[in-house]
Amino acid sequence: MNPIRESLKNIQATEELKQNTLQYLNEQRSGKRHVGTRFAPAYALVIAGLVCLIGMGGHLVYSKPVSYISIDVNPSVELSLNCFGRVVSAEAYNDDGKGMLGQMSLKNVSYMQAIDRLLNDDKYIGYLKEDAVLVFTVISEQPEKILEEIHSSGLSEKYEALTYTSDLSCREEAHRHEMSFGKYRTYLELLEYDEDVTIEDCHGMTMGELRERIDACSHGGQSGGEKKHHGNAHGNAHGGVE
Amino acid sequence: MKSAEEMNFAMEAYADMVRRICFVHLKNRYDTEDVFQSVYMKYMLYEGAFESREHEKAWFARVTINACKDLLRYFSRRKWVPLDVIAEEREALDDTAEGILEVVLKLPEKYRNVIYLYYYEGYSATEIAEILGRKENTIYTWLARAKGLLRETLGGEWA
Repeated sequence: MNPIRESLKNIQATEELKQNTLQYLNEQRSGKRHVGTRFAPAYALVIAGLVCLIGMGGHLVYSKPVSYISIDVNPSVELSLNCFGRVVSAEAYNDDGKGMLGQMSLKNVSYMQAIDRLLNDDKYIGYLKEDAVLVFTVISEQPEKILEEIHSSGLSEKYEALTYTSDLSCREEAHRHEMSFGKYRTYLELLEYDEDVTIEDCHGMTMGELRERIDACSHGGQSGGEKKHHGNAHGNAHGGVE
Repeated sequence: MKSAEEMNFAMEAYADMVRRICFVHLKNRYDTEDVFQSVYMKYMLYEGAFESREHEKAWFARVTINACKDLLRYFSRRKWVPLDVIAEEREALDDTAEGILEVVLKLPEKYRNVIYLYYYEGYSATEIAEILGRKENTIYTWLARAKGLLRETLGGEWA
């Protein structure tokens, strides 16, 4: 016997292989639908993979912030919004803000729900009394859409809120100073009138106090009684966009 | 369509040959299962008549080789690792067989076919030419080259 024949003689079809094949053929003969035994795990893996990819992709899309709203009174809170307008993170930039976020969840709701939840909180309402100034500052590719919704909700009217826009570089700069970008934009605005003001000064000031200083400087110390402004006083102090 | 009895007979008669052709061509048992299903499905649906058992056996050899080629073409990017194939059959093989088969499996595909059909199944060059749809002279050439390659590696007078 030649060596090749000798080497191959023990390579044989197993009973399992034979029976599986016959069973497969019988199923085909009787018209049963067959899913290839070889590819069944592959199909399952492909489907599982697709589900994972869609899930991961969906998660990435959902969790990626594309817009930001800084809500400042004295509590300074920043909301990061995904492309669906839902809050994916809420960060506080001072002790009052931390105190607020420590007692409520603003995540995974629409930004208007989050704002409504914040502004209707008893503790937060406490900050909105007397000389307080509520400021919404928005960073977005379409800030007017967010601002319009804030205005149409009646909240800005109710609290005589100010609204501004800003940009990402301002936000980065603000965070380097551990300040919300809304408050930082106001600081930059004040800086235009008062070169002596420092970021440290602003850390200790409420938005009402900052606005009062701006009004005082911009009106030559004759700001008078009108302290609050309605509408779209969009900030140009640091990359404000309209 | 072939009857269940005909299928059972064909399975007992040719399954080992189909398996060995798969072994010299394919990469794993999953490929082998696919080829088994494909070959025996073709047989089940085959409406032509066989002149003899030998004719039928040659039909199985040809259809199996073509099914292997189709599968390899489909999975052409997959890496061909003879040792993996041998590893799957390790229990059935001694060291000598493993060594020889490793060399055989490293031959080009066309040489593997002629070597198997010539040395294992005992077909003549004329019969192999018919099975593979090639000219007889081509088969002689392939056989000579394949033997030369094996002799180079294995030495001795085995071929």
